[in-house]
Amino acid sequence: MFLRILKNDLRRKKTMNIILLLFVILSSMFASSSVSNISAVMRGTDSYFDKAGMSDAFILTLSETDCDTVSKNLDNCKGVDSYQREDVLMLMSDNFRQDGNKLVDFTNAALVQCGADTKMNIFDDSNEKIKNVREGECYISGTFAERADLEVGERFDIKVGDNTWTFTFAGHAKDALFGSEFINNPRFLLSSADYEKMVPECQDSRGAVFYIETDDADTVLAEAAEGAKIQFSGPRSMIKTSYIMNMIVAALLLVVSVGLIVVSFIVLRFTIGFTIAEEFREIGVMKAIGLKTRSIRGLYLVKYTGIAVLGAVLGFFAGIPFGRMLLDSAASSMVLGGDNTVLISALSSAAVVAAIIAFSWRSTKKIKKLSPVDAVRSGQTGERFKKRGILKLGSSRLGTTSFMALNDVFSAKKQFGIICAVFTVCILLVTVLANTANFLSSEKMLPFMALTESDVYINDTSECMDIIGAVKTPDEAIEEVEQKIRDAGYDADVSVELWYKYTVAFGDKSVSVPMIQNRRTKTEDYSYEQGTAPQYTNEIALSLPVLEKLGAKVGDTVTLAIGGEDKEFIVTASYQSMNNLGESGRFHQDYETDDRGISTAFAFQADFKDDPDAEEIDNRVEKLKDAFETDNVFNSADYAKDCSGAADTISAVKYLVLVIDIILAAMIAVLMERSFISKEKSEIALLKAMGFKSRSVIFQHTLRFVFVCIAAAVFAAVLCIPLTKLTMDPIFSIMGLVSGIEFKIDAAEVFFICPMIMLGVTALAVFLTSLYTASVKASDTADIE
Amino acid sequence: MNTVLDVKDLCKTYIVNKRQNNVLRNVSFSVDEGEMIAVMGPSGSGKSTLLYTVSGMDAMTAGKVEFCGSDISKMSQNELSQLRLDDMGFVFQQMYMMKNLSVLDNIILPACKSKKVSESRSQTADRGRSLMRKLGISEVADNDINEVSGGQLQRAAICRAMINEPRMLFADEPTGALNRSSSEEVMDELCRLNDDGTTVMLVTHDARVAAKCTRVLFIVDGNIKGEYNIDRNKSPRDRERDLNNWLLEMGW
Repeated sequence: MFLRILKNDLRRKKTMNIILLLFVILSSMFASSSVSNISAVMRGTDSYFDKAGMSDAFILTLSETDCDTVSKNLDNCKGVDSYQREDVLMLMSDNFRQDGNKLVDFTNAALVQCGADTKMNIFDDSNEKIKNVREGECYISGTFAERADLEVGERFDIKVGDNTWTFTFAGHAKDALFGSEFINNPRFLLSSADYEKMVPECQDSRGAVFYIETDDADTVLAEAAEGAKIQFSGPRSMIKTSYIMNMIVAALLLVVSVGLIVVSFIVLRFTIGFTIAEEFREIGVMKAIGLKTRSIRGLYLVKYTGIAVLGAVLGFFAGIPFGRMLLDSAASSMVLGGDNTVLISALSSAAVVAAIIAFSWRSTKKIKKLSPVDAVRSGQTGERFKKRGILKLGSSRLGTTSFMALNDVFSAKKQFGIICAVFTVCILLVTVLANTANFLSSEKMLPFMALTESDVYINDTSECMDIIGAVKTPDEAIEEVEQKIRDAGYDADVSVELWYKYTVAFGDKSVSVPMIQNRRTKTEDYSYEQGTAPQYTNEIALSLPVLEKLGAKVGDTVTLAIGGEDKEFIVTASYQSMNNLGESGRFHQDYETDDRGISTAFAFQADFKDDPDAEEIDNRVEKLKDAFETDNVFNSADYAKDCSGAADTISAVKYLVLVIDIILAAMIAVLMERSFISKEKSEIALLKAMGFKSRSVIFQHTLRFVFVCIAAAVFAAVLCIPLTKLTMDPIFSIMGLVSGIEFKIDAAEVFFICPMIMLGVTALAVFLTSLYTASVKASDTADIE
Repeated sequence: MNTVLDVKDLCKTYIVNKRQNNVLRNVSFSVDEGEMIAVMGPSGSGKSTLLYTVSGMDAMTAGKVEFCGSDISKMSQNELSQLRLDDMGFVFQQMYMMKNLSVLDNIILPACKSKKVSESRSQTADRGRSLMRKLGISEVADNDINEVSGGQLQRAAICRAMINEPRMLFADEPTGALNRSSSEEVMDELCRLNDDGTTVMLVTHDARVAAKCTRVLFIVDGNIKGEYNIDRNKSPRDRERDLNNWLLEMGW
């Protein structure tokens, strides 16, 4: 009999059982994919670096002389356990052509090297190590190929002087050292034959990467830099931090994953409670015919376990591609995900089964208390004095249908409250991402890059390289840029942020940091956290992480090793910036720096003298792109976006999450509405018998979800900013923004468009589902139990 | 007297498992204004189907049903809904109520939806309370529907059916789920409404209930087998006895 009851139950309550099964599939899918992704993200860079075989510290030098100096320094440095030198060719964007044109503009130097000789592991898109590169083929790391719209199989040329070599793009390479958004020096991995052919023709472009094993990276890097011009250096920890943008995206994925798990479990708990509550009549009947509580409880547990196992298995398989899709969208340039992904996913799905059994066990506890009388009263004891509705139709100004919808929501606070909470989470997942992406692509970010806001930013690679190579003085380069702008028909003041790499010491501690100077702005133009801007040439500002590393504070005197001399500077201010992942300093504009020490020049900043409006600036940006023959001319917001590098990725994740939200909201709305219809069939029939038209019933059902969605939008609006700060401030603080940031809130997007999309999708889903109420006839009042 | 309901050759057929089930076969009768007509018959004879079909709640297969001169078979679902809302009232065996509304709100719900009477919400609520007072349940106006007895709930259902002052009230075994005293109370209310001019058509198994009506239709296998006029001048006991005798003749 037990099996017969179970069989009949599954057949007769097909709709509710299918709804439950779908929710279990959703839960299992979200849980299995999210938990394995969380695990992958948590191990994140460490796991990636271990796989890549990253060393403790790195140095990149541009000239052969500097390479040799660094080699000698490292040979004599006591702190070095071992080091490896990897010879590379350093080429600029002008060297990469396709059909005679420049392939793409990029500011960082590209490393061209033999794929077989790399001292660390570099991976392809399938996360397999790139061991050999075929002759004529080339793997490219970083965002180069993406920016150049280069498809696998396409051909391009590398042109140095009069020599041109043609290569076929073999695929994207994941490079742990130079592949992050912050560093982003593309590596071109060639076959040894091709590389050997190029080397003799590129003697002026030779450079080297040093991979150093040491326990004292900071000291070793400072000593290795003695007498050499270092293009880039840093310890493993800094490289790790350079993935912060990727990790921001991964962390957002983590937030999304946790959100999805919470949503799925809430909905699951609700659905189980809801379906068991529907069974009171039958439980009463079973008790009346003499079935013991244990048997009845067992019946439901067997049923829910069966549904849970089936749903969890289906969800597990659906979760594998879903999880991979999420992870790929979040960190396409990294190798995330461990070897135990399947096991973790399977355990997560098993946890879903366990949770369902636990929920069922808890929900079926009530069976003990039910008596045969409940068969008559459908689970109502008649002793409930708590009011269901709090609204009064007689005193309401709402239309009847609107009143009924609102009253239903207030009468079933728990059910609709859960739906509201789920929708709130869904909206927040998108809006937190939107706030972050908007901040990273707004001019509000510029002060956090230790930049002043200008009308236009011009990345003129050749001028920058001329400054770095001491071919031109910064003033000469600036004057040339000003002239080009004048030739384009505009008059502008131009300046450029120059970076020098010096070792700053305080007491027995020293840190090698980039010192920044802009000779044509004033130190007062920048934002500071403590103290006042440097007023004299012997004063500097240091970023908070540098001060923390040195154990110094504003007012202390620190020593900088400049040109073989130790020079003392008073720290007059501290600031926070994302430059060099939070570690930098600023000279007074009048401090006489040695142009030969310039390691990096930022974009040329131009401020038009006629103070044009934003629209005119955008027009001028387009004209200056032609004048400078580059796409790297930006307005302030676009430049911020270009600097952060992650805004587009976060936007892409935002849209992905929005799509997931839409699907989730639609599914929840459809499944909930379908279960409501099933539960409220008698009331629908009654309304129709009383003369309510089908459209009124459909409107009432749709309106309930609209009210819930509006409430969710309000809650989400209230929580949006605090939650963004709560989740994102700790992440940005790792990048050096330790004092928190003011996010850019796009009110239209966050408070209107996102909620309206959710509202529209939900309303449409419920509307379409509620059309089913048309099949409930007035005469069904005669057939309803 | 005006004819409120005129039924001619009404047929209703269900197809169950590809088998045709003729529930109503060429049923014809009429109901005049002010009448209180009972439909009796054994289980499965088609009583409830007849009630639902003539009230437009269920579609007929063939025949014609005129309600106050309008052919309901030609009406759209929306027109039928409007007709039920404004001109018909319904009382069911189970006291179906909207769970989330108080007793009073359940009663005034059709009036709030209908545009038949132009009045404010508070006036509607006052009218609802007045009806409740009339039926002796005014003390439970603000109660939740779970807090009142079955008899009170059925009287509330009658109030709801009457709130739009319908031309005709349909009741499907209105006392079927009630105990004897509640049953008496409910029938007294229906009779009082009928005395006030409301036409009533009810389905019942109970001869004592039917004896309070003016006419009884006896239906067997979808056909009206007989019709019995009750003399309301006789005492209730005599009416019930005469009716029982007639039902015996009909094979009850």
